[in-house]
Amino acid sequence: MRGMEMSLNQTQKLRLQRALELLETLSSGINSNSSVTVADTIPVNQEDGVLKGHGTTELEGEVVATVCGVIERVNKLVYVRTLRARYKPEVGDIIVGRVIEVAPKRWRLEINFSQDAVLMLSSMNLPDGIQRRRTAVDELNMRSIFEDDDVICAEVRDFMRDGSLQLQARSQKYGKLERGQMLTISPYLIKRRKQHFHHLDQYGIDLILGCNGFIWVGEHVETKDNMIEEEPIKPDPQNNKSKTSMSLEEEEQTYTPLETRQNICRIANAIRVLSTLGFSITIDVILDVVDLSISKGLDIHEMLGAEFSVLVAEREAERRNSSTRRKR
Amino acid sequence: MAAKAGASPATYSPSPTTYKKNRPPIFTDVDWVRPDGRDFHQCRPAFLRTGAVNAASGSAYAEFGNTKVMVSIFGPRESKKAMIYSDIGRLNCNASDNKEISSQLHKSLEGAIMLDTFPKTTVDVFALVLESGGCDLPVVISCASLALADAGIMMYDLVAAVSVSCLGKNLVIDPVSEEENYQDGGLMITCLPSRNEVTQLTITGEWSTPKIHEAMELCLDACSKLGKIMRSCLKESSSTSQE
Repeated sequence: MRGMEMSLNQTQKLRLQRALELLETLSSGINSNSSVTVADTIPVNQEDGVLKGHGTTELEGEVVATVCGVIERVNKLVYVRTLRARYKPEVGDIIVGRVIEVAPKRWRLEINFSQDAVLMLSSMNLPDGIQRRRTAVDELNMRSIFEDDDVICAEVRDFMRDGSLQLQARSQKYGKLERGQMLTISPYLIKRRKQHFHHLDQYGIDLILGCNGFIWVGEHVETKDNMIEEEPIKPDPQNNKSKTSMSLEEEEQTYTPLETRQNICRIANAIRVLSTLGFSITIDVILDVVDLSISKGLDIHEMLGAEFSVLVAEREAERRNSSTRRKR
Repeated sequence: MAAKAGASPATYSPSPTTYKKNRPPIFTDVDWVRPDGRDFHQCRPAFLRTGAVNAASGSAYAEFGNTKVMVSIFGPRESKKAMIYSDIGRLNCNASDNKEISSQLHKSLEGAIMLDTFPKTTVDVFALVLESGGCDLPVVISCASLALADAGIMMYDLVAAVSVSCLGKNLVIDPVSEEENYQDGGLMITCLPSRNEVTQLTITGEWSTPKIHEAMELCLDACSKLGKIMRSCLKESSSTSQE
């Protein structure tokens, strides 16, 4: 297994193997005949005009694969889907990224993609909340909004000509993320859903599943919705204070309690275990794994051990088994 | 360099005649016996694995007898040098700062990769020779193409590389370090097996034309066999990760 760096003893290996085999039989029958490697010919009915999609090329009238993966057919389109796919961005994706550079009128973010994404100053709300043209003073004060190495949540606005992404963070739910952990997992484990922002009440934690494979687990922050534009927006004195450096009393107030920190770590470890095993990450699965760890009374650091991974695999196999049985 | 050699007589300048005299031709009558007991036309058994390095986009590990090589691929990713927009991507090869192997690796791979699928970005290839047991460059090239396939970089075909050594009147395929040291000449072919195309042909030393023909045929045959082995390795690793 890729990334499986722990040593399993004999019984654990057997149990893991059995669980993975069960999962394989339950999975929606991936036909092994349709897997191809580089330069394999793809069986295609030549009479229908065939659209050669991603991962294919033409050689002497035959369609040939250029990557290793599984053949997918949609009507006349034939393409090769790679198994460990890179992140494929789409407009409207929720992205978590890290600032690597503050450039003239924009920030450059590192997201798990072949190129860095760009967040324009004009695509970002100003701290005083007024909608106005960005002046030279705003440009000089860019560092007061985001600095280098800040973690940011944003949305994909569109693609630039060279293929890199342009982001926008114009809503209150986007912006700088503080007091939490950012995790990196393979992007194909996160499927696009209706909701990528999750607020876990019972733990007091915000969970953001970025489509690019970056996940944010952090303390819950109340988002004020000040998008009401009919009333004249008065510069809110409290708003200004939160952006400038905080005094000691304010820092005490914003201290994250120990229990919240432990919950953050527990959820983060649950995500790490799931990504090592290669299971899709959804909010239900994460909560299930966290409940499992609490019910077994495991310490947070024990969650990264071999025993827990085997338990998670067995639990997932059991879950899918019961759900397929219920469908029948 | 020519001026320097003439200026100070202490500078070493190799002259062809003295070089030949120092190494007596031992192999004109006697057959060479391979130290590992192989046939002349038998390659070493290949052990290939993908996914050796977790941090990399793609990686592969290859063991051909005593030659152990690990290649990791990073990318396509942002390159600091390519600030101007370019239609095609860049390939950057680094074989632990060995310029010769790096440049030959680059030449053999760039014919197989579809550079226009990742414009403005760079694919970095890092090769590490863990143990050198002869025939290093061909093993590095084959391992690198496996790693590229593992990383999902679009390619026209896998690149298989084999080299042949000429020892007197014998042609020896997949030489060990000892055989490479004694060789009269070496020939290396990197080809795309399914497409029957050659990306690089390197000939060094003394060769007669009929021997070159024979060596090329040997190499191409071995390359197609190696291509099949590489394919089965990729199929195996993809079937275990299908879940």
